[in-house]
Amino acid sequence: MTAAIRSRRPAQIFLGAAFALALFSGPASAQKQGGSITFGVELDISGFDPLKVGAYDTATFTAAAAIFDTLVSLDDKGQPQPKLALSWTHSDDYKIWTFKLRPGVKFHDGTPFNAEAVKVNFDRQKDPANKCRCAFYIAYIHDVQAPDELTAVYNLNDPAVNLPSLFTIQSQNNVIQSPTAWKTKGDDYNRNPVGTGPYILKSWAAGDRMVLERNPDYWNKGHPYLDRIVLKPLPDAQSRFASLQSGEADIVWDDEYDPDNIQKAKKDPKMTVHTYVGSGAQVYAFNTKVAPFDDLRVRQALVMAIDRKKMSQGITNGLSIPATNPYGEGSWVKCRDDGALPTDIEKARALIKDYGKPVEFKMIISATPRGRNVGQVLQQFWKQVGANMEIEQVDQATIVPRAFMRQFQLTPWRIVDLADPDPQMYANFHTGSPVALANYSNPELDRLLEHARVTADPEKRTEDYCAVSRLINQEAIWFWTFQNTYYAISSAKLKGLPKIYSGVIDVSNVWME
Amino acid sequence: MLGFVARRLLYLVPVLVAVSLLTFLIASLLPGDLAYVILGDQATPEKVAALRHDMGLDQPIWWRYLSWLGHVLQGDFGRSFRTGQTVLQAVAERLPVSIELMLLAEITGLAIGVPLAIACAVRSGSAFDRFMTGTAFGMLSVPAFLAAILLIYLFAVELRWLPATGYVPFAEDPIGNLRFFVLPALTLALAEWPGIMRVLRSDMIATLQEDYIALAKAKGLKASRILFVHALKPSSLTLVTITGINIGRLIGGALIVETIFALPGIGRLLVGAMYTRDLIILQGVVLFVATGFVLMNFIVDMFYAVLDPRIRHGHA
Repeated sequence: MTAAIRSRRPAQIFLGAAFALALFSGPASAQKQGGSITFGVELDISGFDPLKVGAYDTATFTAAAAIFDTLVSLDDKGQPQPKLALSWTHSDDYKIWTFKLRPGVKFHDGTPFNAEAVKVNFDRQKDPANKCRCAFYIAYIHDVQAPDELTAVYNLNDPAVNLPSLFTIQSQNNVIQSPTAWKTKGDDYNRNPVGTGPYILKSWAAGDRMVLERNPDYWNKGHPYLDRIVLKPLPDAQSRFASLQSGEADIVWDDEYDPDNIQKAKKDPKMTVHTYVGSGAQVYAFNTKVAPFDDLRVRQALVMAIDRKKMSQGITNGLSIPATNPYGEGSWVKCRDDGALPTDIEKARALIKDYGKPVEFKMIISATPRGRNVGQVLQQFWKQVGANMEIEQVDQATIVPRAFMRQFQLTPWRIVDLADPDPQMYANFHTGSPVALANYSNPELDRLLEHARVTADPEKRTEDYCAVSRLINQEAIWFWTFQNTYYAISSAKLKGLPKIYSGVIDVSNVWME
Repeated sequence: MLGFVARRLLYLVPVLVAVSLLTFLIASLLPGDLAYVILGDQATPEKVAALRHDMGLDQPIWWRYLSWLGHVLQGDFGRSFRTGQTVLQAVAERLPVSIELMLLAEITGLAIGVPLAIACAVRSGSAFDRFMTGTAFGMLSVPAFLAAILLIYLFAVELRWLPATGYVPFAEDPIGNLRFFVLPALTLALAEWPGIMRVLRSDMIATLQEDYIALAKAKGLKASRILFVHALKPSSLTLVTITGINIGRLIGGALIVETIFALPGIGRLLVGAMYTRDLIILQGVVLFVATGFVLMNFIVDMFYAVLDPRIRHGHA
């Protein structure tokens, strides 16, 4: 489960596993049965077969949240709650997890949901012969066993103290698909997904409407509320918002790069702006093995030269929320002291001067308008303190291999919103990991990361992670600019939308007033 | 005439080969290895090498081109690695939308441009002519994304006469289908009519100065008959070229207009393929569009011959 870069739509194909769902549980009286909504998503959905699409993007997550179920869901406070799994236990070393499954659940095609279904979903993705990109995100799981009809046992390679909350994400790895369906439909399965979820795929015209109809036999009686959900790809931000204004759409995806419409919607009593500040951040990694970033003074100087408030004004009209650590508001890790370096132009200048040699370097920037915008702002900040950054515009698809092969001096990356910091923090900072991009090794950092992943007590883990943050901030091997903030704008009549965990706008349990 | 058609058809072969070669090269030379795209963040060097081998990416480029061309000639354009759809399926699903948009836009453009051109040519140099020529110049400079958003705000958000975005197949709901097409077709037509008007106007002015028009006038023929029968046909050669090129261009879908109005046409398919690095689809669609363009030019050439006997019999 790694970070990914996201600056505009194309990047979302790299968005990793990190997407979650909350099962909404509001007051029972207010919900209204029936009706339908149209949801303006920003992308064409490619499909649902993990073997084909590799990783879901944000539009696919919204559809997957309606068609499929996960074993576990997140409640309003971010705590794991039963969904297809009723309960779970773990071994003392957190490497064996046993899930008791919900009995009597059937897939839309009548196939019974059981431990065997869970196992074959996993096996199919893990099988090296299938060469699924999705296998990367389950590398930490060794195997899944089905000792009886309703017991699934996960044997892990690495300990995970918070495994159930990692299963809440509506990802290609976590949604349970009907084994009968993919076996009988073959290549066509990708566009004809079958799950256990509250909605059944009724029709889907390529590039146009996807119609989801209420599952009358849904195991969670009384749910869902709406009879029908229509997903329409509306790729242009302006016309997407216009469709909401004119009533053709009831809810639309949005992001902070559309600040004008978000501000307009906030003032409009007929609209609701749903927003969620998740964990993780937009981040950047220095390659500490190459000059000038092999010198701590240069790294610190560049980080101190960044004025995030000004930058936010420059790129999103002030909507972007500055980040001082990799955990963010949405994380349960709250640090009294995260060790963030202050913005201090004078100090930065002095550090560069002290370094003595000219500071000149190239930074990888994704070749999108947003990427360029960010690059130019950083360039100006760094020029002020005497460092010359040259922008190297690179195609989205090229950033990942360049990062993997460490062919960069400074690269953008992303820590996505995930219910537990361990998978990404360990991958990004532990010595020897393929995405430990900074090429930096520190026994103390390794020790903290190893300790945090086998410690159950959240307070002790928080101490570990805050120490990790202090260490990274002081060593300035990575830096963070803005927190992951997610937006949806809806008609004010739409109620019951859960928190937008990991950017998944889950409309599977909403209703219209 | 038959010889002329055969000669023209023969010319198409090298053009189409060049088109296929360029299409293949563009898709192959794009930065970002397809194997990395598919493998994403689990792209270890060994896995990349294995996948490249499986996909034949380790073969020399000329060999890959020939084998792709061989498949294409057998009607096999390949299959998307992301959706499992074949290129033909994907194009067939999207084509009706782009063709309808293209036809409606061209008809609207002609319906605005031709009458205005004739009116201006008749009163060339008048205040009306100068005003329309100026307006045409202005409209030509309005980019489609601006015109589209303005139309949406006016007709969909403020007046609520027409939907802002979306599509419904004609067979399902003919009226609804046309309602969805009004704004996108109008957006395209707003950019088409100035060109149509300007070329037809100047050709028409030239034609109206010809001796045979003076003769027709002297014979006392009705002015409308002179204009529409005697002057329009010989003046429309450039118009046919322009219309042909526009149609050829719009076969590839109108990328921006389809995106803004969320029409599921060829243009959107192409944009989506670019974003997801679906090179098989990208390559197939570009080849399809380029071939369509070449064929459209061929048809325009044939039309010339119909309109102008000198081309048919001469050495054009």
